[in-house]
Amino acid sequence: MRIIFFVVILAAGLMYSYVAFTNLDFLTMTGRLGPGFFPRGIGVLMVVFTLWSMSAELRPSAAEGRSDVGGYAGQVALIMGFGVAYVLSLGLIGGIPATVIFLFVTLSVLNRNRLLQNGLVALLVPAAIYVLFDRLLNAAIPEGVLPLPF
Amino acid sequence: MDLFADLWMGLSVAISPINLVYLLIGAMVGMIVGIIPGFGPAAGLAILLPVTFGMDPIGAVMMLAAIYYGAMYGGTITSILLNTPGESATVASTFDGYPLAQKGRAGPALVMQAVASFTGGTVGVILITLLAPAFSHVARNFGPPEYFLLALLGMLTLIVMIGENWKLGVLSALIGFALGTVGVDLETGQSRYTFGSAELIGGIHFIPIAIGLFGLGELYFAFYRGLHRIGSGSIAQYDRKKGFWPDLADWVDTKFTLVRGSILGFVVGVIPGAGATIASLMAYSFERSFSKRPKNFGKGEMAGLVAPEAANNAASSGAMIPLLTLGIPGSASTAVLLAAFLLWGMRPGPLFMTQNPEFAWGLIASMYLGNMALLALNIFAIPLFVQIIRVPYRILAPIVLVICTLGTFSVSSSMIEVYLMFTAGIVGFFMRLYGFSPAALVLGLVLGPLAEEALRQTLTISRGSFWIFLERNGSIGIIVTTAVLLLVLPLMQRIGRRAGALKQGTVSEAEDAGV
Amino acid sequence: MKFISEFVGTGLRGTGLAAGCVLGLIAGSHALAQDYPSKDLDWTIAFGPGGGNDIMARTLIDIIQKYDLYGQDIRAENRAGGSGAVGWGYVYSKAGSGYDISTTSGSLITTPLQADTPWKASDFVPLALLATDDLAIMVSGNSEWDTIEEFIESAKETPPTLAGTGTVNVDFIVPTLFAEKAGFEFEYVSFNSMADMQTALLSGAVDAMVGNPGEIVGLVESGDMKALIYSGETTPPALGDVPTMDEKGWGVGVSMPRGLILAPDAPQEAVDFWRATVEKIVETPEWEKYIETNLLTENIKYGDDFGTFLKNAQDGFEKVLRAQGAIK
Repeated sequence: MRIIFFVVILAAGLMYSYVAFTNLDFLTMTGRLGPGFFPRGIGVLMVVFTLWSMSAELRPSAAEGRSDVGGYAGQVALIMGFGVAYVLSLGLIGGIPATVIFLFVTLSVLNRNRLLQNGLVALLVPAAIYVLFDRLLNAAIPEGVLPLPF
Repeated sequence: MDLFADLWMGLSVAISPINLVYLLIGAMVGMIVGIIPGFGPAAGLAILLPVTFGMDPIGAVMMLAAIYYGAMYGGTITSILLNTPGESATVASTFDGYPLAQKGRAGPALVMQAVASFTGGTVGVILITLLAPAFSHVARNFGPPEYFLLALLGMLTLIVMIGENWKLGVLSALIGFALGTVGVDLETGQSRYTFGSAELIGGIHFIPIAIGLFGLGELYFAFYRGLHRIGSGSIAQYDRKKGFWPDLADWVDTKFTLVRGSILGFVVGVIPGAGATIASLMAYSFERSFSKRPKNFGKGEMAGLVAPEAANNAASSGAMIPLLTLGIPGSASTAVLLAAFLLWGMRPGPLFMTQNPEFAWGLIASMYLGNMALLALNIFAIPLFVQIIRVPYRILAPIVLVICTLGTFSVSSSMIEVYLMFTAGIVGFFMRLYGFSPAALVLGLVLGPLAEEALRQTLTISRGSFWIFLERNGSIGIIVTTAVLLLVLPLMQRIGRRAGALKQGTVSEAEDAGV
Repeated sequence: MKFISEFVGTGLRGTGLAAGCVLGLIAGSHALAQDYPSKDLDWTIAFGPGGGNDIMARTLIDIIQKYDLYGQDIRAENRAGGSGAVGWGYVYSKAGSGYDISTTSGSLITTPLQADTPWKASDFVPLALLATDDLAIMVSGNSEWDTIEEFIESAKETPPTLAGTGTVNVDFIVPTLFAEKAGFEFEYVSFNSMADMQTALLSGAVDAMVGNPGEIVGLVESGDMKALIYSGETTPPALGDVPTMDEKGWGVGVSMPRGLILAPDAPQEAVDFWRATVEKIVETPEWEKYIETNLLTENIKYGDDFGTFLKNAQDGFEKVLRAQGAIK
């Protein structure tokens, strides 16, 4: 896992540098520092530091003593997945209904066999948010594209 | 003295019953707005500005100002309890605030942050009262060369924040810097890394990144550690025996911290554009290098919470100086206040305070009252807030996720910012897991663009010469200050540490975890 | 008033409307269009609360509601994001609707130049230009230059540094076109905010700056800054006795448009209704107060005249930005 994360950063650094070197000028036409001056430096340093840290990672001695797996990785993936589904549903069915569904589904998994408690939280929290955001603060809540009464 | 006559006149304006009601409403709204991650003082002010349209200007400005500094009080509460900064100025408060809560000292941490906020706010207002005209000259000396040096000075704080693995720390800062280059290049107008998306023209904002990295990242990390499987009181212990009030050592240890943080915060706040975020980060690293126990920083040292808290509140007072004495807004929040002044038909500028004495001094006087009200409000509300951490984490976590999401959305009604926040949350989790430094990333994102812009402006002005840094009084002042900090402080620290070691015997040699 | 005299020129239909306007604020609207408005109005504000665009939209809505100029409800929504791309994209998606209206600003022109938005400024139905945000060239109070002539003369020898907010902005376009006409060069220094720019000028880092009068008038009154020339039609008295670019024969004809647009292909009855309504709005004391406190230049152009104004501004922007390399 650890090495994959480094590879992702390395890829991002390479792409960042590629754009900096191909699309952005080092100096402007009038000889001032151009839009590419800093990005080129940042990009190169990012790649250098990523490779440097990776080489330290790849040494077998470094891997010892650091438990990579051991936490509840599955649970983290689960809550991340629920989170992504929640964000996608926001734009579809609107902020308040999506929140009710997200809370109820997530709590049903995390806080099993407590239907009443979960149902209350899933209804009361969005209600409180609606009152606070929409009524008191006049702040925006995502609107859905589906025609729902909310 | 004239000064006291002015202040007395202001007080008599501010103390009318209806104005006091507005002040209290503003303080409460500010606190609530500050608590919600995403809403900072600027967003809160902008959203509530239309409400004041029909009001009398003095009452309205008292309310708006109270929202502004009240948000600084509220912003820290989630930093301490959930490691989720409410807004950018309270990022530094998570460094030691959250570890304190984890150690079972959430109550004392909240009390001390309220006291620190109050001290910072009040010292700030006293300095405004006494020194407003003098400090307007500080703001007048800041051009691009000074901003560049200030950004460099801010980057020195990276050294403090980078933690044990310096390579990963530097890499984190570089990622932040890279994110900071997204958007339209200020000088040429060319789009960088926007890939044709209009959403990215304005660049990547600080708030979704900070909420994602700290708030969501922490949430995922807590799942990784299995906190959702334990019962109540799992993220942070609230120990009834150790209690709610800070003990004597907390007060004694931080009495000078309060003063140092307040003064530093105020001075940085006066500089337009530097603001409360940089003030709080600088106060944190400054305090750490001053401390007798720098190794405890990041592990729940009270001074590490008090310093940034005093600083960010003092900075928000300091930012009123360029607004009142020059008509120049130093931050997003004071820009909204400036818009309000214009709406009420006033003309901010150097003559503002002499042309509108009742308004200006009424506002200043109200800040004394507002800070007192906020201190009382905070202390009363703490037992309530502490209940948050008694909710089992498996129930609390989804609620926190919802509030972070909707809070991020509402700041600029943008789904892109919500996507950014989630991406930052996932990246933040892996960063924590693999020893990167989210704080360094955030610092790179804030200071990187500032440094880049200021350097390019400076070199345009000087036509490519670096001597400009030695030709301006402001620049020389900053260079001298930096040199003193770099040379004198480590020396004092060494002396202080030796004295401390003699007193305490052996200092714990625990590894420095960084932040 | 200036408004009436401009108005008579637009022809017979215009005079009829003016008469209706004089006869009564309330009766006029219903007599003109029976079917419109029959639904709630959706007013898109393409920026967040508290900004110039938001304040103008809310001022207009307050006036419309106070005088009951629109028979139905008005819903104002801040659809912020992407420098206007989100809000105006929303209005664009409502093509054919007469009930989707929005207030404009400079970004209506600049955002499509910078990003791949599906819409351009010319896609919308231009209703009316109400006012423009114009700029003054400012120098520090203790500067050696007292008049624009002195400034230009010295600029011809050594190009001065001139600060403005952003590059894809009137702050850059106006002085660039002005310098071209007046025959001098300058080094543009782009700043992120008005505040940074003002302190840069006061600290002596830059020689001059451009700014909206509303934000600098306090510093002019106190003698910390001097205005040299103004880009609008008439200089606001608060800036002092300062010539305009037009008076000197160096007019640039580009400014930040503050006007109203409808969704593309909006029905004619909606366009007619709004034209009549705008004529009433600009006569109200509330509107005059708005123009006065914000030191805007009242500049009213209806329909196609507004369309032409937008087109000219767009061409000006495109030319300068292409020469600068900001857009490709």
